[in-house]
Amino acid sequence: MSILSIENIRKDYGRVQALKGVSFDVPKGAVFGILGPNGSGKTTMLGIIMDILKPTSGTYKLFNEVPNETHRSQIGTFLETPNFYHYLSAERNLKIAAAIKERGEEDIPRVLEMVNLTQRKDSRFSTYSLGMKQRLAIASCLLGNPEVLILDEPTNGLDPVGIAEIRELIKKLHLEGKTIIMASHLLDEVEKVCTHVAILKKGELVATGNVNEILASEDIVEIGAANMSALKDAVLQLKGYSRFNEQGNLLQLFYPIGSANLETVNQYCFNRGVVLNCLYLKKKSLESKFMELTN
Amino acid sequence: MSKLLKIEWLKIKNYNAFIILSSFFALGVITVNYIVFLVNKNMISQTGAANIMGTFSPYNFDKTWQTTSYAAGWLLLLPALLLIILITNEFTFRTHRQNIIDGWSRQQFIHVKIVMALLTAVFSTILVFFTALIFGLLSGSDFSTNGISHVGYFFLKALSYNMIAVLIAVLIRRTGFAIGVFFIYMGFENFISQLLDVWSIRLRSKNNIDLGSMGDYLPMNSADGMLTFPDNPIKGLAKGVLPTDYPWLVLGLSIAYLILFYWWSMNRMVKTDL
Repeated sequence: MSILSIENIRKDYGRVQALKGVSFDVPKGAVFGILGPNGSGKTTMLGIIMDILKPTSGTYKLFNEVPNETHRSQIGTFLETPNFYHYLSAERNLKIAAAIKERGEEDIPRVLEMVNLTQRKDSRFSTYSLGMKQRLAIASCLLGNPEVLILDEPTNGLDPVGIAEIRELIKKLHLEGKTIIMASHLLDEVEKVCTHVAILKKGELVATGNVNEILASEDIVEIGAANMSALKDAVLQLKGYSRFNEQGNLLQLFYPIGSANLETVNQYCFNRGVVLNCLYLKKKSLESKFMELTN
Repeated sequence: MSKLLKIEWLKIKNYNAFIILSSFFALGVITVNYIVFLVNKNMISQTGAANIMGTFSPYNFDKTWQTTSYAAGWLLLLPALLLIILITNEFTFRTHRQNIIDGWSRQQFIHVKIVMALLTAVFSTILVFFTALIFGLLSGSDFSTNGISHVGYFFLKALSYNMIAVLIAVLIRRTGFAIGVFFIYMGFENFISQLLDVWSIRLRSKNNIDLGSMGDYLPMNSADGMLTFPDNPIKGLAKGVLPTDYPWLVLGLSIAYLILFYWWSMNRMVKTDL
């Protein structure tokens, strides 16, 4: 079952096209990362799903149904900024959120404890630091233990400990079978927790699917020799790599992940009369893959 | 709706601006009337004005309903300001988005604000009713419900001010700016209204065309138009110059404006990006 399916969503702001016909599905139980650089349309996309922005065209479904407010109340959503009444305490703010979601107030102590805000529950929201505001917003999402969570840059403004805590929390919720949709530009975050990704670039969907397929890294073997032309000739006969690239006085051989063997390469070149003065295995980073997809 | 109202109550019950502005309004209604009551009781009767005013006493039944409603009408700015602050706060804190994200529909969000405007008008009217009753009884006259329709006109005026406040808050969204626009609009409408009134007098005296006091046909003025200070000898002197009143037209227009404000605020919240 799809938790969310988006079909050909377009959003124009005057001449600017924020989303140019984006479609994808979020399967149940996935940790679905929406990736993209700043301004790629991630938040616009989530804003449309939450009915606070109107799409120019296109449709979407929540839980395989035409979306309505009841669906939204079943999803814990944190979008863009923590939005609370500044003059009220954390606890009073959560009471309002719980009442709107039609969830009981008895869950408030549990979620406050989960984000370490129990001690400060009576302080006014306006006195909170950015990280605390962020944690309160996550607490509000967790109210009533929803089956689906939508988190937009959940680790913004958090300290390293806070970031690790949120990551652990997401992993834990995933193990409980919950579906999590997360927008982020922090690749590290996505690589560590997501099962699926959709990559947006300037409002267009560049890729979507299983995280291992989309962001599959390659092994890169970098080799160099005094006689580069002989090396190049030798390499042309070599099997196993998918393509090669000349970079300065080095050759880069791209292998499917896990298939590069440095000994074989070294032996092969030596047998052909080329002595390598450089031999190095480089893992392609997610970052460079992301750059490749979005640039 | 009661669920939605309970949530609104959670939002405002600990909010200082709410507590202060509502107390000011409640105290203001009583104080303003008390001042008018005292002025009339002590000063007019002891000065030369007594000759002109004769036996006129604004807080006797059945005049008390009209006098209190008229005097309290001047204070309706306070609940309107309060509504502007409460609604624009939602935009400032972006809680209007959060409420919808958390499971309200856009219609529910704007409906509960409009019901708040209605309830504020109802509470103000109840306050005016009791103030009129108390001052009427204090003036020593016999109880009468004659002229109680003025309390109804007060309700209409309160609702009109509140609905203008809702509309301006929804359109402008920023607290200071919205309050500014509210006052500027009020001044502007009064200015146009004066011009229209002068024109009405001219049309009547020169061309013998009586279209009524056209200044009363504008949104705020139509709500004000039904609420006047009780007829008295001084007012009587002015009657000869002014065009005829068409109260039913003014009443009809103020209801039509209410419907327009309702539709406009609703449309804005339901159809645009938040």
